[in-house]
Amino acid sequence: MGGPLVVLDRLSKRYGEGAVTVDAVREVSLAIGSGEFVVVLGPSGSGKTTLLNIIGGIEQPTSGDVNVDGTDLAGLDGGELTAYRRGTLGFVFQFFNLVPTLTARENVQLVAELDGPDAEQRSVEALRSVGLEDRLDHFPGALSGGQQQRVAIARALVNRPPLLLCDEPTGSLDLAMGRQVLALLRQATGDGRTVLTVTHNAAIAAMADRVVRMGSGRLVEDRAVTEPIPADQVSW
Amino acid sequence: MSLLERKLARDVGRRRWQFVAIVVTVLLGVALFGASYDAYQNLLASYQAVFDRTHFATLTVQGGNPDRVAAALADDPGVAAVQPRSVADLPLRIGDAALVAQVVGLPADRRASVNDVLVLSGDYLRADDPNGVLVERHVADHFGLSAGDSLELRLPSGWTRLTVRGIAASAEYIWPARSRQEVLTLPDQFGVLFAPQAMLNALPPAATIPQVAVRYRGPADDPSVTARLVNAALAAGATSTFTQAEQPSNAALQEDINGFGELSLLFPLLFLGAAALAAYVLLSRLVGQQRAQIGLLLAVGYDPRRLFLHYLGFGVAIGLLGASIGAALGLALAGVITTIYTGVIAIPITIVQIRPTSVLLGLAFGVVAGAAGALAPALRAARLSPAAAMAGPTIAGHGGESLLERVVTPLRRLPARWKLVLRGIGRAPLRSVSTAVGVVLAVTLVFVSWAMLDTVQLLLERQFDEAQRADATLSLAGAATPAALAEINAVSGVAGAEPVAQLPVTIEHAGQRYATALIAFPLPTSMHAFLMASGSSELPATGILVGTALESQLDLAAGDEVTLAFTGLDRDSRVRVAGFVDEPLGTYAYGSLPQLAQLIGSEAAGAATSGVNVRIAPGAERDAVLARLRDLDGVAVVTDLHALQHVAQSLMGLFYAFVGAMLVLGAVMAFAMLFNVMSANIGERLTELASLRASGMSGRQLSLLITAENVMLTVAGIVPGLLVGYVAAAAFMASFSSDLFSFDLRVRPTTFLFSAVGVLLAALVSQLPIFAAVRRIDIAQVVRERAG
Repeated sequence: MGGPLVVLDRLSKRYGEGAVTVDAVREVSLAIGSGEFVVVLGPSGSGKTTLLNIIGGIEQPTSGDVNVDGTDLAGLDGGELTAYRRGTLGFVFQFFNLVPTLTARENVQLVAELDGPDAEQRSVEALRSVGLEDRLDHFPGALSGGQQQRVAIARALVNRPPLLLCDEPTGSLDLAMGRQVLALLRQATGDGRTVLTVTHNAAIAAMADRVVRMGSGRLVEDRAVTEPIPADQVSW
Repeated sequence: MSLLERKLARDVGRRRWQFVAIVVTVLLGVALFGASYDAYQNLLASYQAVFDRTHFATLTVQGGNPDRVAAALADDPGVAAVQPRSVADLPLRIGDAALVAQVVGLPADRRASVNDVLVLSGDYLRADDPNGVLVERHVADHFGLSAGDSLELRLPSGWTRLTVRGIAASAEYIWPARSRQEVLTLPDQFGVLFAPQAMLNALPPAATIPQVAVRYRGPADDPSVTARLVNAALAAGATSTFTQAEQPSNAALQEDINGFGELSLLFPLLFLGAAALAAYVLLSRLVGQQRAQIGLLLAVGYDPRRLFLHYLGFGVAIGLLGASIGAALGLALAGVITTIYTGVIAIPITIVQIRPTSVLLGLAFGVVAGAAGALAPALRAARLSPAAAMAGPTIAGHGGESLLERVVTPLRRLPARWKLVLRGIGRAPLRSVSTAVGVVLAVTLVFVSWAMLDTVQLLLERQFDEAQRADATLSLAGAATPAALAEINAVSGVAGAEPVAQLPVTIEHAGQRYATALIAFPLPTSMHAFLMASGSSELPATGILVGTALESQLDLAAGDEVTLAFTGLDRDSRVRVAGFVDEPLGTYAYGSLPQLAQLIGSEAAGAATSGVNVRIAPGAERDAVLARLRDLDGVAVVTDLHALQHVAQSLMGLFYAFVGAMLVLGAVMAFAMLFNVMSANIGERLTELASLRASGMSGRQLSLLITAENVMLTVAGIVPGLLVGYVAAAAFMASFSSDLFSFDLRVRPTTFLFSAVGVLLAALVSQLPIFAAVRRIDIAQVVRERAG
């Protein structure tokens, strides 16, 4: 474990104006170190996805500070936020969001091309790392849900970002496929990368290094997991 | 308002700009239809009113003894009235100006029973005023003439002073055509006088064309009456006839307003077709997006027919709204166009009517366009299986290499982002095809307009720069003798002068007749180039050349013998047709002066050779040379052959405005189409785009990829659009071609380029709102909505 990669200081997010407002995130302070596998747990509407989006630079906080890898997000304009996402983050969504007209390799390459040369080679390596070396030229429609999510993980990892943000990464998968995906996420922390996963599935917390629980926008629990279980033992 | 209707209203509200784009397209289509169709009907009604008031001749018979011919026709049961008269082209002086006057004989003691005139100011002719004449309004307006003014006409006795009794309009000269060969005239070079018939009776027979104007009891286009009367007239000694439809002014005007008739169908069809395609794109996207809602409604018991009508209603609403505004706009525009047109042409009676049928037709066109676009998506909605519809969204698009990659295999090595562009086109094939067809329609609209401009410009160049090599024609008071030619050649600034003869003649072959003029030049001539389809030809020593329109009209082939009936000489001759000339304006017969002498005798040919073609030396001051020629004693009229070209060129400004307007309309059409398609594409791919933005792709990069896809679709439509446009323009121009004008389509290479670039620019402009939409993508919201 290294020093803190993500630092949140009294972070709040309010939606709406006047009488109709919703406080999605309230005064959340949190520091997440490099190489940590953190699971943010909470029921629907607890503010966990909003928290993830703010760290990802796709939503702006109403108040408070966000610092990721030494970068204060508050001072960044649109272009700088794009560069921040390109250089610092990988995103994995519940619904994979692959481009159906591109093969697995091309979907990964599409993002790899944003980060310089050897895009194709790096894409193949990324797909190999998620066990899809025999599915490189398959289109998403010909892949299972688990395989599609593995392509999405390869896409998120291809530019070697220090932080991987995952929003319900197993939400659309059955247990077997979910375990494969979780194993890959755990594997991604091996070279010092931080993985932050938000989910309502408490079972996943058992394999995390650290569990942050949210309720009504507040951070209600922040605990380390002393003995994380392997992904293949997670069950729901 | 039912819940479904409320839903319809909200659906419209959520897609208001796409809705507006289609409404505007329908609006333009219906407005164009209303404006052009009603203007066409208004002009027809205005002409008809003039025809009725002046008892415009249904048939005109030329040659022979007019009284004898009139007597032969008067008793026919199909004839309401006959009017014998004479017509002569004579030199006229108005102040310092000299021009050619077509003098038309009218009874001075009563009104003509056929081909009467409308006296716009002053009084009609009087039997006790043998030198009082009526001046036709075009020349009167040009020279500011009014009753009481005087002018001079060259009669055999010399220049004779005439008094203007009044200003008149005539159905025969609404468009002041001199003949079917000289449809385009200038008021400072040609005018019409209506004189007592007694004045024309005093002219030598060779100087006049005897005519009998006939009016039918029944409709003007009764072929059985026409055939009977033509036979009777020819048997009575007439040489040629022409019907009301063939009358020079009427034929020219009909050609012109038929353009309105054709435009009233062609251009609105393009717009309504584009609107239907855009409605199809929008509705298909809407139904795709609302699959789950449709499934739910079907599952809870909604009748599929009701859902069908619900989505069909969306198209009908678009059509009805656009058509309502378009019909009102069309009505207003029709009135404006009619008033401007009748003002420019100087039609004495203007009729502007509101026709409920054209309003209803416009509304129907709009509704049909909207409904046609909505039909397939509405059927799709009604036929959805509730279970499948509620199972969740289907993947938008499918995998597979694009056609281009399969054909051009090196494209497989393109970066993934460019493959995304190539394959994006195949994701919604019907939508892409709709877009390309929309672009085809827009290109067609622009290209046809531009090609019309090119054709007219290039044909004017062909007529005035290639065929016609003389700068002016002089009408002499007598024959063009060697002495007269020497005097003209001696004028400073004259580079050359040649005699020329022009005689009215009727060409007969295979039982068909065509009245025209035979123009005879010296052999060889440097004043005219005889343009053939295969290039230029010399004037033949024997035989004549005729306009290519006569190939079909008289069933002629080169080498055939024809009969020439010289109208004023009461003489027929046989001559061989040596070839066909392809000239834009008029259909003449050309021969050599020796050939003319052979046909009508040396004496008659010498007398008929009273014209001189003149070429002005390069660098000479044109107007000064023409003025010096006018001052020569024997010169009655100097006709500046380039004046018409200059006027025609100046009228090109109107054409440019027309093409500009069509360019704007084509751009609007392309914009509406592409904007709708790209809006649908972005809506459908929002999560992918948001995901790419989250992965670090900038808005600019995404916009570039979307633009590239749009440009490819546009280019895919431009190429066939140019082909379709060319074919449509050729058909459109062919419909205008006759013996009066030969409108063979001629298109400059740059027109292809500019039409393509114009529509491409419109496509790029349609990207601006798309760029804004890409910039506005709320990644978090898209991800959240999808997750929820």
